[in-house]
Amino acid sequence: MSVPLLQMWAVASYVIKQKVRGRTRYPLVLMLEPLFRCNLACAGCGKIQYPPQILRKHLSVEECLRAVDECGAPVVSIPGGEPLLYPEIGRLVDALVARKKYVYLCTNGLLLKEKLEQGVFKPSRYLSFSIHMDGLREEHDAAVCRDGVYDKAVEAIWDAVRRGFRVTTNTTLFDGASPLRVREFFDEMVNLGVEGMMISPGYSYSKAPDQEHFLRRSKTQHLFSAILSGPKKRWKFNQSPLFLQFLMGKRDYECTPWGNPTFNIFGWQRPCYLLQDGYAESFRELMENTRWQDYGRRSGNAKCQDCMVHCGFEPTAVNETFGSWKGFRDTVLATLTGKL
Amino acid sequence: MSLQGWVPEPGDSLTLAEVIDLAFDYRGNTTIVRVDGTEVEGYIFNRDRDVPEPFIQMFDLAGNGPFTIRYSEIRNVKFTGRDMAADNSWTAWLEAKGKGAADGRHGKEPE
Repeated sequence: MSVPLLQMWAVASYVIKQKVRGRTRYPLVLMLEPLFRCNLACAGCGKIQYPPQILRKHLSVEECLRAVDECGAPVVSIPGGEPLLYPEIGRLVDALVARKKYVYLCTNGLLLKEKLEQGVFKPSRYLSFSIHMDGLREEHDAAVCRDGVYDKAVEAIWDAVRRGFRVTTNTTLFDGASPLRVREFFDEMVNLGVEGMMISPGYSYSKAPDQEHFLRRSKTQHLFSAILSGPKKRWKFNQSPLFLQFLMGKRDYECTPWGNPTFNIFGWQRPCYLLQDGYAESFRELMENTRWQDYGRRSGNAKCQDCMVHCGFEPTAVNETFGSWKGFRDTVLATLTGKL
Repeated sequence: MSLQGWVPEPGDSLTLAEVIDLAFDYRGNTTIVRVDGTEVEGYIFNRDRDVPEPFIQMFDLAGNGPFTIRYSEIRNVKFTGRDMAADNSWTAWLEAKGKGAADGRHGKEPE
């Protein structure tokens, strides 16, 4: 694990507090989408297909902060759309850092260097740039359907690391990924000086342009086993080792759909970041009036059967870490030995 | 298959609630035909049929809203806007790169 100790402690104490209060459903990471607009149209993305009047809209900083306060999660992830297209991204991040929220700014990196040169962001232990990297040059440029994006993102990573920012990568893998190439990719990212890497299989969005390459559950386990067996010591993952073991098929988890709630221009998305079954007006309404029993693999919901995405299962892994001695022991063991 | 251009005819075989569900899932603007004959065009982003008075929520073409309209006020929904999910960047990429890109995209190892 490569999460800094202070951040780990912030999350751990938050989870323990929820458990002491007897809360069974609590959020870990708020997915805050201030806009849907993006400067890429990736093959595996089902997020940005909206009419122009919707793509032009964005949340105000005040609306974002109200959602952050309402939700109370210790970590705020800002995906999108492309958050660096949000005109008030600097002010939003400053306000979140002032609230001592751990921020993961999920960007494709195309505008990052420019924003850093403009001084939009200041290094902070609360701020991490999570750069979208779907593999080495050839794989990444194809995944985002544009040549040159990998090189631009690498340049941005170098620049951000050089300026003292925390930088992580976020990788989505699809059917046909080569385990060998992915391992080479991990080496490359470590060489760039990233703090940690996040990996996940893609969610099979029905609206994504490429419908052929979404991984089914057994293929996911096969692929991640091949990639993560015998992990190199120098690889650092910004994820729970139990979640990585789940991806490898070593653990059987059920989804925790309320673990990463999503707020965007439409409100609070039901039930999760990936599935869109409607919107609630408040976080409380989302938590109390969503038919949670309709989601997750055991529900029989066809849209959940092959999903193994981090936003649904990382909270399950974290819950196991702090909910059982065995889970805690396994996490500590994997963290200390580096074995998955 | 895209529903773009479809003008459904709600009735016994296809209920209005089912048409609204399809419109909610549609990634393009639609035109709501009210029972009084007036029409409003925009993007339906929410619907709830599990409440005493089922409703939809939408933004109009100018992005104003959200407007809430009860099912009981709706006669039909026409799929008038362009289907944004059918705007296929992936197909364009494949065409630009040649067919080999489909495998190359994901780094498939040579057989």
